[in-house]
Amino acid sequence: MGLLLFDLVLATVVLLLAGTAIFSRNLTHAVMLFMAFGVMMALAWARLAAPDLALAEAAIGAGLTGALCFTALVRQPAALDSKVATSLLPICFVALITAALLFSVWQIPVSPNPALSHEVSVALPQSGVAHPVTAVLLNFRSWDTLLELLVLLLALLGAQQAQSSLTLYAGWSLSLSWSRLLSPLIILLTGYLLWRGAAAPGGAFQAGALLASGLVVLRLNQQLTWLSWQNPWVRLAALSGLLVFVLTGLFSLLWSSSRLWLEWPTAYAGAVILGIESFATLAIAVTLTLLVVGEPTEERADA
Amino acid sequence: MSLALGLVIIPLLAALLMLLWPRLARGLQLAAALLCTILATMLLQLVQQEGSQQLFIGGWNPLLAIRWQADSVTALLLLLSAVLHLLVSGYALAVQQRDKLAAAFWPLSSLLLASLQALWLSRDLFNLYVCLELLGMVAVALVTLSGDKAMRPALHYLLFSLFASLCYLLGVALLYGAYGALDLPLLQGQLQANSLTAAALVLITLGLMLKAAWWPLHLWLPAAHAAAPAPVSALLSALVVKGPLFILVLVWTTLAPAAFLNVAAYAFLVCALGALLLAGVAALRTPYSKTLVAYSTVAQLGYAMLALALMLSFNLPVFTAALWLFVMAHALAKAACFLSIGEMQQTLGVKKVAQLKGASQTMPLAMFAFAVAGGSLIGLPPSGGFLAKWVMLLGLWQAQQYFLLLVLLVATLVSAAYIFRVVVLAFDRAEPTAPDFSPQLLPQWLALLPALAVWAMAFFSMPLLAILQQELS
Repeated sequence: MGLLLFDLVLATVVLLLAGTAIFSRNLTHAVMLFMAFGVMMALAWARLAAPDLALAEAAIGAGLTGALCFTALVRQPAALDSKVATSLLPICFVALITAALLFSVWQIPVSPNPALSHEVSVALPQSGVAHPVTAVLLNFRSWDTLLELLVLLLALLGAQQAQSSLTLYAGWSLSLSWSRLLSPLIILLTGYLLWRGAAAPGGAFQAGALLASGLVVLRLNQQLTWLSWQNPWVRLAALSGLLVFVLTGLFSLLWSSSRLWLEWPTAYAGAVILGIESFATLAIAVTLTLLVVGEPTEERADA
Repeated sequence: MSLALGLVIIPLLAALLMLLWPRLARGLQLAAALLCTILATMLLQLVQQEGSQQLFIGGWNPLLAIRWQADSVTALLLLLSAVLHLLVSGYALAVQQRDKLAAAFWPLSSLLLASLQALWLSRDLFNLYVCLELLGMVAVALVTLSGDKAMRPALHYLLFSLFASLCYLLGVALLYGAYGALDLPLLQGQLQANSLTAAALVLITLGLMLKAAWWPLHLWLPAAHAAAPAPVSALLSALVVKGPLFILVLVWTTLAPAAFLNVAAYAFLVCALGALLLAGVAALRTPYSKTLVAYSTVAQLGYAMLALALMLSFNLPVFTAALWLFVMAHALAKAACFLSIGEMQQTLGVKKVAQLKGASQTMPLAMFAFAVAGGSLIGLPPSGGFLAKWVMLLGLWQAQQYFLLLVLLVATLVSAAYIFRVVVLAFDRAEPTAPDFSPQLLPQWLALLPALAVWAMAFFSMPLLAILQQELS
């Protein structure tokens, strides 16, 4: 009963936050509401027994997307106020689509096809990790994950074409010292999330997003001035996840006993996955940071 | 399958190295493009000799793994994209200094090739989504290379493309929830004709139609393709819109339950007629030369739609052959059109169709390339376009669809009208637009190459048809 009440409140809050984020006239308010919506969505995923998604949503949906929206707002020349659509036509359209979707979702069988989960549990001991989500992401369907890393890199490459006019203001001493205090903690948490991914919810994307949030905070406080795409080492870090992934795949293709693309031998699978995930974490963190902060111009700190 | 793997990994690795060492970019690009073309030729031969090849990535069983399959259509498409990539890279190398082509072009175009090859090979609904997403991102990034003026069309493209991806993903999620598998051959024949499947298929189809710029969901295409630099427009129009088309054909020929085929065929037919006639008229009316070529892409995609609709309703092998012939002929012809128009725009310093006056005198080679490619778009013999249209006419005759025969004739006249609109102006030599600088020969020859290739398709019609028929038997 208590949980049902909680679910009902959560569902209402999620819908309310989504609505207010869309209809808010002030863009800053809209972004804040959107971040709150992200946190509530993370809770909703947790309630739906999908802790991996909850972690990713909390780190990316609530955290980094918010930072991305705020840096985009700062780049706007003048305060923009969004015009709220008054026409009823789009609302009717959305309502119609929602109704059709709800109707079809209703028909999804309550108990999913057991063949796949059985297959996963049979193959799990050979995958090198104990957590099925990590096994799917980095072993059974690692090709998808490789391409997803490429999508992230492409987002950065695309965003670089747009001129950035972000100015970093001289650090406020309190936020500066706070960001410095925060960074060891974030590195520790990142390592923990990454390591935990082998056996429980966690892994490269969540850890990378967390590390990126730490880097973004430091960068916005005018720290880490070397963090720029022009720096070849930074480029290497941003590409390292993909490079290691592809090279490991090539190694498995050319020199392993089975000679299959992206096939990890059972004995080494755990180590291979941890290696790929570590570099992927680094790459994701650097890419997301560059995506949020770009190549800012800095204002000199006055004492 | 190691050949197919090479086709994906080589451009991918090359692009990563280009990002690391921008100085090596041009050499790497050319080397990767050449290597890919050779590998694709070898793969086509292999598939012809030994039949279609399969690979389960990572060696897991079909339910867990992602399936790659290289059948003869896939092998042809792999070769087509490798060849076009090579030709466009050559053109880009020849003009990069003059046109101030951004350095990001090299890694991005290599990534475009990698994601396309991955898409042609994949037979997994979710992996296809990732490939689509990748393709969309690369395409948008490539459009932005034109600088500030391209930002608006690129942003529109991005938003449409993301919305389309989400539609597709939602459809796939519904199917996955209902059937618990993502592998296309495993799902074949499993789908029941209920409203869940219908909703999923509608979502998938809408998403893909939006991505493939099928009329009436084509609104983002003309602006985006016209704003991009010439080599990019060539790649986008020739290859990128074919990716979603390929998935659409896969979904409707392998997944869809038989009960839905007729309705879908009617819907596709209406869209095809709209594209062929209305987009053709739009191409006839637009004042800008690049927009004309972009609208012609929308119109020409109508033939592919028509072939798909006929495939679904008549189940005749000729229509499958016609569809892929159209795809190949259009890709080569459109690349030649965009490259030659781009070359004329740069040299003459003009944007409007009317200002191409006298181009047959000032830039005869580029104009010749445009005319030859245009001939294929119209369907004049001897060309790949003629071959495709002929195969389709034969099929229509077999199926006794005389009304569609008439429509095809009208559509041909419309495409002839917009091609001749340019060609006639180019032969009006009274007061030719003077070039800004003396026309360069090499880029014009490179623009002519795809046009000659589409010409050559007519001479290889028997082997091409044999390859495509092999697929069907």
